[in-house]
Amino acid sequence: MHNLSSLVKCCSWERLVVIKSGSIEPAGWTPATSKQRNRDRVGWIRPVGLLLGLAMAMVSCNNDKVEVYLIPKEAINVAMQRGSAGLAPLPGAPAQWTRPDDWSEQPLSEMRLGSFKVDGPNAASADVSVVAFPGEAGGLISNINRWRGQLQLAPLDEDQLRQMIQRTEVDNVPTFLVDFQTAENAPKPSRILGAVLQTADRAWFVKMTGPPELLESQRQKFLDFVKSFRFTSPSEAERPAPAVSIKPKSTNDE
Amino acid sequence: MTSELLRWLKPLTSLKLTIFCLACAMVLVVLGTLDQVHIGVYEAENRYFKSFFLFFSLPRTDLRIPWFPGGYIVGTLLLVNLVAAHIARFKLSWKKAGILLLHSGLILLLVGQLFADIFVDLESQMRLGQGQTKNYSESLYHHELAIIDTSGADSDQVISLPESQLYAGNRIELPVDSLEVMIKEYYPNAALVSPSQLPSQNYPHLPIGPMAVAVQMEKTYKENERNQPALTVSILQSGNLIGTWSLAAGFPRPLSFQAAGKACQVVLRPKRFYKPFAIQLLQFRHDRYAGTDIAKNFSSRIKLTDPAKHEDRESLIFMNNPLRYRGYTFFQAGFDDNDTTTILQVAQNPSWLVPYISCALIVLGMLLQFGMHLVSFVKRRAIA
Repeated sequence: MHNLSSLVKCCSWERLVVIKSGSIEPAGWTPATSKQRNRDRVGWIRPVGLLLGLAMAMVSCNNDKVEVYLIPKEAINVAMQRGSAGLAPLPGAPAQWTRPDDWSEQPLSEMRLGSFKVDGPNAASADVSVVAFPGEAGGLISNINRWRGQLQLAPLDEDQLRQMIQRTEVDNVPTFLVDFQTAENAPKPSRILGAVLQTADRAWFVKMTGPPELLESQRQKFLDFVKSFRFTSPSEAERPAPAVSIKPKSTNDE
Repeated sequence: MTSELLRWLKPLTSLKLTIFCLACAMVLVVLGTLDQVHIGVYEAENRYFKSFFLFFSLPRTDLRIPWFPGGYIVGTLLLVNLVAAHIARFKLSWKKAGILLLHSGLILLLVGQLFADIFVDLESQMRLGQGQTKNYSESLYHHELAIIDTSGADSDQVISLPESQLYAGNRIELPVDSLEVMIKEYYPNAALVSPSQLPSQNYPHLPIGPMAVAVQMEKTYKENERNQPALTVSILQSGNLIGTWSLAAGFPRPLSFQAAGKACQVVLRPKRFYKPFAIQLLQFRHDRYAGTDIAKNFSSRIKLTDPAKHEDRESLIFMNNPLRYRGYTFFQAGFDDNDTTTILQVAQNPSWLVPYISCALIVLGMLLQFGMHLVSFVKRRAIA
């Protein structure tokens, strides 16, 4: 089914060979005809040749042009983009979430699917981001170590990290929570509350960065926010996270 | 003058040319079939049959040396040979009726294939999740760099640059708003990895975002793998740089920018073929025989909406029962996401009847020709 027309195309060549070689009969042809008759017909050949040349030229420049066309506006089927219309969603299954009331939306940047600002006392503010990457996005450990790097903390190995990662489930999706803070004597103390939600085909990273005290007061809201994630495609929730992305199957395979 | 032309044309009507072309066609079929194992049906078809020459690439250079005629040359030569021979030797008689029919069938087959190649859209797929509606299908093999002007009230303007124009150093003037696109870097196939996975900071890569970079990969021809290109593109307006972005087809999220006060997006994605109607997947079913994992049936219940034709109906697509609508045929081709996503193969071929007619003509011609031989032979035997 998958390659029906290509099969037909291929076959037509094979058919051509088979039929032609089977049917060619030198005896059926009149090898030498009178020059007079040839002269009468020859006028036809030039236009035919020209036509063929044209056809060849058309084939050679097929599918090579810049196209411009109008399409009806695409409905944006992601609930998450409150106030940020115009930015198309990730292909495939998106997610929805509920923003805590005192978080204000920030404009989405290149990678962010969600971006919020949390204002605290004394002009302190924290930043919350939601990003998603296909597959495992380089692995949980390296991503968490990357977050540690942002706080000038040394990377840890898998065993050490396992003890620091809190594992839970959100909408039946395995979720990993971390909480890191800069070293005590750091000139500019900062803290990261992070969550990695590993759905079937991508990893979602939710991160809150800001002063430790503000994050402490926002901790519950952050957890509620993470727990509010809903993955609209049932597949995202039903399936345990596989190690590799799953290739679509052909109905011919079974 | 005519005799001059005739002398020039004579080789075209030669039977030796026919034999040569047939031999070439056989070689092509054999080589194409063998190479199909390595490069897949699609690439083999393109390299051996939908090409003018087979090329040999000199190692470590960009030089490609043609060493054998491809399908287009062989097919065209055969066609010219056949047509020329008919014109030069044409004689309308009942005795030749079979041969005439047979050859007109062949000519139709060759011309039909040529026209199918020229005018027919590439085959594409429509991938629909449960409840999802789409009015476009996507190419399996080709990508496009799409620049979308989203400032319109109820429609978006799409400028689609084909994959063949995407190569490092290419500068393409767009037909609107004096926009210009410069391809700075292009990887025909790329993998997205975390920046920390790069062997070194200097390892060639395209920064797709803070958490992903694209690194070049060998082009794949495997049946179950797809190439995912990545590129760096600059967009200019009237010679002024608007921005430079790195995009990856493996992460086809449109990036927004402003051009002449208009909101625009740029995205590298599988080439899209928009249709004047929309299809929604209501339900995909993967029925198995009771107590086993053996597939019994795959079917997609869809809803077809076409406001222009006042069409709003449901349809069931299953194996060997495609949906045919407005010249498109939707076949059940695959599924994904734990049986919640259907993959429909979309074919559009207005000349799909041509091979059937050609073959019917050829069979009829053969029957007539051999029948006449048989009758005259039997008659002669009866007389003897």
